[in-house]
Amino acid sequence: MGAVIALDELTDAAQKAFPAEELSPSRDESWQLAAKMGWLMVRLPEEDGGLGFTREASTALHLEMGRVLAAMPLIPAQLGLQAIAASEDFAERANWLERLAGGEYAPLPMLSAKLTQASDGTVSGMISGVFEGDMAVAVVAELPGGYALVPLEAPGVSLVERAIWDPSRRLFDLVLDGFAPALMLTDAAGAKPLHDRLSGEAQLALAADCLGAAGAALDMTIEYMKVRRQFDRPIALFQALKHRAADMKTRIVVAEALLWKRARDESASITELAAAKVLAAEAFRFVTEEMVQLHGGIGLTDEHPCHLFLKRALLNLQLCGNADLWNECLGRAALAK
Amino acid sequence: MTHDLEALRREVRSFLATEAPSGWRDASRTQDDFVRTQRDWFGKLVRAGYAIPHWPADYPGGGRSLAEQKVIYEELAGADCPRLLLSFVSTYHAFATLHECGNAGQKARYLPKILEGETWCQGFSEPGAGSDLAAIRTRAERKGDVYVINGQKVWSTMAQFADKCLLLARTSADGVKQAGITYLLMDMKAPGVTIRPIHQIQGDEEFAEIFLDNVEIPVSERVGEEGKGWAVAQATLASERGLTLMELSYRMRGALGRVAGLIREHGHSEDRGVLRDFGVLVTQVDAVCAIADQFLDNRIKGIEHMGDASIVKNAYSRALRAYSAFGLRLGGMDEQYVAPITFGDLNTGNWMADFMNSYAWTIAGGSEEVQRNIIAERMLDMPREPKGWVL
Repeated sequence: MGAVIALDELTDAAQKAFPAEELSPSRDESWQLAAKMGWLMVRLPEEDGGLGFTREASTALHLEMGRVLAAMPLIPAQLGLQAIAASEDFAERANWLERLAGGEYAPLPMLSAKLTQASDGTVSGMISGVFEGDMAVAVVAELPGGYALVPLEAPGVSLVERAIWDPSRRLFDLVLDGFAPALMLTDAAGAKPLHDRLSGEAQLALAADCLGAAGAALDMTIEYMKVRRQFDRPIALFQALKHRAADMKTRIVVAEALLWKRARDESASITELAAAKVLAAEAFRFVTEEMVQLHGGIGLTDEHPCHLFLKRALLNLQLCGNADLWNECLGRAALAK
Repeated sequence: MTHDLEALRREVRSFLATEAPSGWRDASRTQDDFVRTQRDWFGKLVRAGYAIPHWPADYPGGGRSLAEQKVIYEELAGADCPRLLLSFVSTYHAFATLHECGNAGQKARYLPKILEGETWCQGFSEPGAGSDLAAIRTRAERKGDVYVINGQKVWSTMAQFADKCLLLARTSADGVKQAGITYLLMDMKAPGVTIRPIHQIQGDEEFAEIFLDNVEIPVSERVGEEGKGWAVAQATLASERGLTLMELSYRMRGALGRVAGLIREHGHSEDRGVLRDFGVLVTQVDAVCAIADQFLDNRIKGIEHMGDASIVKNAYSRALRAYSAFGLRLGGMDEQYVAPITFGDLNTGNWMADFMNSYAWTIAGGSEEVQRNIIAERMLDMPREPKGWVL
C-alpha cells in the first residue's frame, strides 16, 4: 500500500517542481532539481541507496516529465543506472552507482548501434541515440562482447551532435574508433537478458512520456478552442470540432489504461510492453497532428508551442523500435498462440 | 475479500465445467432455436444462482458485490457461454426500473416472474425519437382508470418474444419535452398491440416495431407519477454500467484466435503487412479490455466520472468494427458467399454478418456521435450547443 501513497506524492511533487505553464524548462536546472529530489534513483534498489520504487512510480514520473516536454534526459539516465545496478559482477559497480546517484550522467542509447570488433578486442563503429551526450561522462552500450561503460574521455571515443527537428532535446552519435572496452557490465551471454530487461523499462518510460505530453497537448487545444472565436462563437461550439476533441481524449484514456495495466503486470513480455508504447506513441502523434490543425495558422508558427509537441511525438515514435517493427512482432506472437 | 472472489471463481468454474452449453452456436441458427437456447441457459443460471447477481439478497443468487459480478461475467465469457440476451432487458432494465421506482405491488407482481422466464422489452425509441429520445410522440390519454395509448415504437430488442413492455408515452405536450412523459408497464398481449419484426441487413431479426392502437393500460401500471417518466427512464438506462462491455471485450479477445486461423488458412503467415495489421488489432483489443476493466475496477472503488462510460463504449464499438473489417478483408471473396448466421453472438466468424452486426454497437445505446458529445461537453467541459435552431 506504501507504494500507492508514494505514487500520488511523487506526482504531486513533480507537478509542483515542474509547473504545467513552463514547457521545456532549462535542461541543466531541471537535471539538478531531479537529482536533488532523488528521481535519478527511483528504480534503484534500496540496498544500493536508491528509492526502490516500482515500475508504476517511474511511469508516474515520466508522465509528468512528458507533460512539460522535459529537456533533461531522465529516461536514458534511469536506464543507464539500472544497467549498472543489474551488473552484479561489475567491479566498480558501487562507485559508479554513487557517482550517478550524485548527478553524473551515463545514458543508455535509445537507437541501434552498428559496431564491429577487431581481433585485438577493440571496437569500432557508431552508437546512435545518445540523448544530451554533451553532459554524459560515459555511455552504457551494448558492444559485441557484452554491455560496457564507454567513458567519453577514453581513447577512440568521440561524440558527434546530430541536429534533430525536436527542439526539446539534443541527440548525439557516439563514434568508436579502435575503442578498447575496460568497464564490462556483462559478458556476451549476459547481454540478452539485460537488453530485454532494459528494453521493457524503456518501452514503459517512453509510453508514459508520450501520454503525459499528449494530455498537455489536448489541454492546450481545448483551452484554445474555448477562446478562439470565429463566426461570432468560440470554435469549441462546433460539433465537428468537438467530436475531434472527444476522439483525442478517447485515444489518450484508452492508451493510458493499457499502459497502467502493463506497468503493473510484472510478467508482461517485452512485446506486450512495446504494445503499450506503440499505442501511446500513435495516440500522441494523432493528438499533436490534430492540435496543429485545430490551432489553425498560429499552430504553424515557431513562437507557438504546438510544433514542440508534434516534433516530440514524431521522434518518440522512432525510439527503441518503431511501430512497424513492434506491430509485426505483436502479430507474430498472437499468431503463435 | 480477494480470497472470497477466488473461491467464487472456482465455484463458477466448476459449475461451468459440467454445465456450460457446447454447440450452442449450431443450436442458434434460427430465431426459434436461439430463443429456446436462451431460455434453457437462463433457467439453468437462475437455478445455479448466477443469473441475477446484481439483484438484492432477498432473491436467490442476488446480493453479489460488483466485484463478484465481475468474476461471474469473466468466467461466463471465458467459457464461451451464450450471452444472456433474451433476458437482458428483464434482469437489468425492468429490474432497475421496478426496484428503484416501482411500488410494492408492482415489485411483488413482476420481479419473481422474471426469474420464472417472463421477458420484457423496451418501448422507448420511435421513428422520430432516436438520439433525441425526449421527442417521443406516442400519446397516453387518461380515461378513468386506464391510459389509452396510440403511437409507434421502434428498435425494441426482441419485442416479438416479450411478455411485457417498459413503455414511455406522452401525457402532456406542454412545457419542456421531458416534462410530459409518463412511464407505463404494458402487457404485450393486450388488444391493440401489433408487433412487426425488423429484418436486419445481416439476416437477423433482433429488433421489432410495436404499433399501439387504442391500447388500454390500467393506471395501476404506471411507474412514478404522471409526467415524471423521464426521471424513471434514467434509472432504466443507467441500470447496466460496464459489465456488458467488459464481457464483450473479453469475448472479442478470445475470438482473436479466429483471425489468426484466417491468416493461416489464407497463407498470410509470413505476410508482414498482414502481421503488422494483426498486431495493431491485437493491441487495440487488449486496450479495450484494459479500459473496460479499469472502468469496472473504478466503479468497485466508487469512482466514476461523467463520460467514462462513453469512452469505453466508443473504444469497444470501434474495435469491434476493426476486428470484423479485418476478418472480412482476410476472408476475401469467400465471405461474399452467403453462409449460415448465428443468432446472439458478435464474434461468429461469419465475417459479413459480424461486420454488419458491429453497426448495432456504434448506433444503439447512444450512438457514437452522442457519446462524443458527452465526452466533449461533460469531460472536456466544452460548451453545449444552444437549444433550437433558426432557418
